[in-house]
Amino acid sequence: MEKLTIVYLIYTFLAFYFLILYVLTFVQNRKQFYEVIKPTKNYSLSIVVPCYNEADTIQKTIKALLDSNYKGLEKIIVVDDCSKDDSFNIIKEYSKKDKRVLAVQTPKNTGNAAGAKNYGAKFVTTELIGFSDADSFPKPDAIEKMVGYFNDRKTGAVTSRVLVANNVNKLSKIQAIEYKVIAFTRKLLGFLESIYVTNGPLSIYRKEAFDDVNGFDEKNLTEDIEITWHFVLKGWKVHMAIPANAYTTVPVKVKDWFRQRIRWNVGGLQTIAKYRKKYFQCGMLGFFIMPFFVLSWILGLAGLFFLLYRFARFITIKYLVAKYSVEAQVAIINFQDLNLSPSILFFFGMVLFVIGLIYTFVAMAHSREEKIKHPLHDIFIYSIFYLLMYPPLLIISIYKFLRGKKSW
Amino acid sequence: MLQNKKNVFWEALIITIAIFLAGLFLGMMLETRSSNKISELYISSEVNLADASTLSKLIGSKDADCEITREKSIEFANKIYEEARYLEQIESSGKLTDSLKLLHRKYDLLRTLLWIGTSESLENCNNFHSVVYLYEYETEDIEKKAKQNVWSRILFEEKGKNKNLILIPIAVDQDITSLNFLLSKYDLTQFPSVLIDNKDKFFDQNELQKALGGILED
Repeated sequence: MEKLTIVYLIYTFLAFYFLILYVLTFVQNRKQFYEVIKPTKNYSLSIVVPCYNEADTIQKTIKALLDSNYKGLEKIIVVDDCSKDDSFNIIKEYSKKDKRVLAVQTPKNTGNAAGAKNYGAKFVTTELIGFSDADSFPKPDAIEKMVGYFNDRKTGAVTSRVLVANNVNKLSKIQAIEYKVIAFTRKLLGFLESIYVTNGPLSIYRKEAFDDVNGFDEKNLTEDIEITWHFVLKGWKVHMAIPANAYTTVPVKVKDWFRQRIRWNVGGLQTIAKYRKKYFQCGMLGFFIMPFFVLSWILGLAGLFFLLYRFARFITIKYLVAKYSVEAQVAIINFQDLNLSPSILFFFGMVLFVIGLIYTFVAMAHSREEKIKHPLHDIFIYSIFYLLMYPPLLIISIYKFLRGKKSW
Repeated sequence: MLQNKKNVFWEALIITIAIFLAGLFLGMMLETRSSNKISELYISSEVNLADASTLSKLIGSKDADCEITREKSIEFANKIYEEARYLEQIESSGKLTDSLKLLHRKYDLLRTLLWIGTSESLENCNNFHSVVYLYEYETEDIEKKAKQNVWSRILFEEKGKNKNLILIPIAVDQDITSLNFLLSKYDLTQFPSVLIDNKDKFFDQNELQKALGGILED
C-alpha cells in the first residue's frame, strides 16, 4: 500500500470518528438538547459590556439587555475603552435614563476587549457576572434560559447560542449557516463536558469561578477561549444553553472577516501554547479538548495539503501532456484519460462529504430560527468552498503567531 | 453525568472501526473482482500465445509460416494491448491490494514473451514491423510520466494507421529477469525509449515520429 494511501486512510478514520462521535452524542442526548433548567433561586447578575468605537450598535446592545425578562439582572456595566467616537456619551445618556446602566471608562485604552472586561468586572458585586459584546443583542429570554445551570455548584460558566444579526450579503448569510453549525456542535461538546469557548456575545460566569481564574488573560487575543480552558482546568463545569439566543453583527467585508478569523486562530494558538503542558492531564481539558482542538486543525491542514498535492500534481501532468501533445501533434485528450474506476478512497471521501452535509442539514434544522431560510446553494457554498478557507487561514495564523503577532 | 457520557467515546470508536473495516473489506472485494476479471483475460491470452507459438512450430512451409505468424502475432499483440489498456484504466482504483500491480507484471512478462517470439519471426520473415515501447511504470517523475503519456498516444495513433505494425509496450521496472536480459542485450538504459525492428533505438520524440512516418510510407 502506498504511503499516501495510508495517510489518507488515517485522515479518513479520524474524520469518521469525530463525525460518528457527534452523531452518537446527538442521538443519545436529543431529548435534553433544548432543555431549560429552572433556577432554584433568583441569582443576582451583572452584565459587563466592553465597548470601543461602537457608537453605531451600543444603544441597541444596552436596549437588548434592558429588555431582558430576567429579574435578577441588577447592573449593566458598560465599559468604554476610551473610544474615539461618541460611544461614551451614548452610554452616559443611557445611564441617566436607567439606573441599572452604569457607565464607566477605562483610565486609558487597554488595547483589547479582555482589558475592558476585567476593568468592568471590578464593579461587580453580584453572584453571577455576564459579558456581552457591544455589537451583540441577546434575546429578552436568553439570560433566564441560562442561569438555571448555576443550580449546580460546580457550574462555572454558561454560554449562549450566537446567531447572525445582519444577514445582508452572501458572506454574512454563509456565516449565518456557519454559526448555526458551530452552535449545534458546541452543544454536543457540552454533553461531553468539552466546551472549549464561551462566546463574547453572551456568556455568564459564576463570580467565584471568574475570580478563581483571575479573570481574562489580557495577553490573549481570544480571551473567551482562554478563560474557558482555565475554567475546565480548575474543575469548573461549562455548559451551553442552546435555547438562549444572542444575535451578533458579523463582518460583511472579506477583509474584516479575514482579520477576525486570523485573530481567532492566533488567539487559539496562544491558548494552545499556554496550556501545552496540560496535554493528557487535567481531565477533559488535557484528554479531549486540547487534543480535539489540535487534531481538528491538523486534520484541516492535512486535508488541504493532500488536496493541493493531488491537484498540483494533476494540473502539472495535464499541462505537460498538453504541451508535449501539441509538440507531437497528437490528441491532447483521449478516452483513456477519463478515470471511470474510482477507488475505495474516493468512496470514503464521498461518504464523509455526504455525512458532513447531512450533519450541516441537521444542525440547520435544529437552529429553530424562524423566518430565516437558507437556500440550498448557500449550504453548498458553505460546505464546499467556505470550509476550504479554514486551513489557509490557519497557515497564515500560524505564520503570524510564530512571527510574534500578539495584537491586531 | 459524564461517567455515562464517556462511553460514547468508546462506542464511536467501535462503530468507526466497524464501518472502516466494512469499507476496507468492500474495497478489497471490489479490487479482487476487477483483478479476477483481468486474470480471466490474461489466462485466455496466455493460451493464445502458447497456441500461436505451437502453430508456428507445426507448420512446415516457410511462406505459410511467415504469413500465419504475422497475422497471429498482430492479432495477439492487439489483443493483449487492448487488455493492458483496460487493466491500466482500472488499476488506478487498486489502492488496498497489490493484485492489479501483480497482473500488470504478468502482462509485461507476456509481452516480453511476445517480443522474443516476434524477434524470431522478424529474422525469418521480415514481413512486419515490431515496435517495442519501453517505459517506467512506477516512476514518480512528473515530467517522465507526461512524456510517457504522449509517447503512448503517438504509438497508439501509429498503430491505428499501420496494420503491419506490432506494438509491444513493456514496463521496464517490473523486475523481470528475461526482460532485463533483453534490455542489456539491446543496450537500452534510458526510458521511455522505442526499439523498432530490434535495430533502431529512439529516445527522442521527433526522431521517433520521423521513423514511424518512414515505416508508414513503406
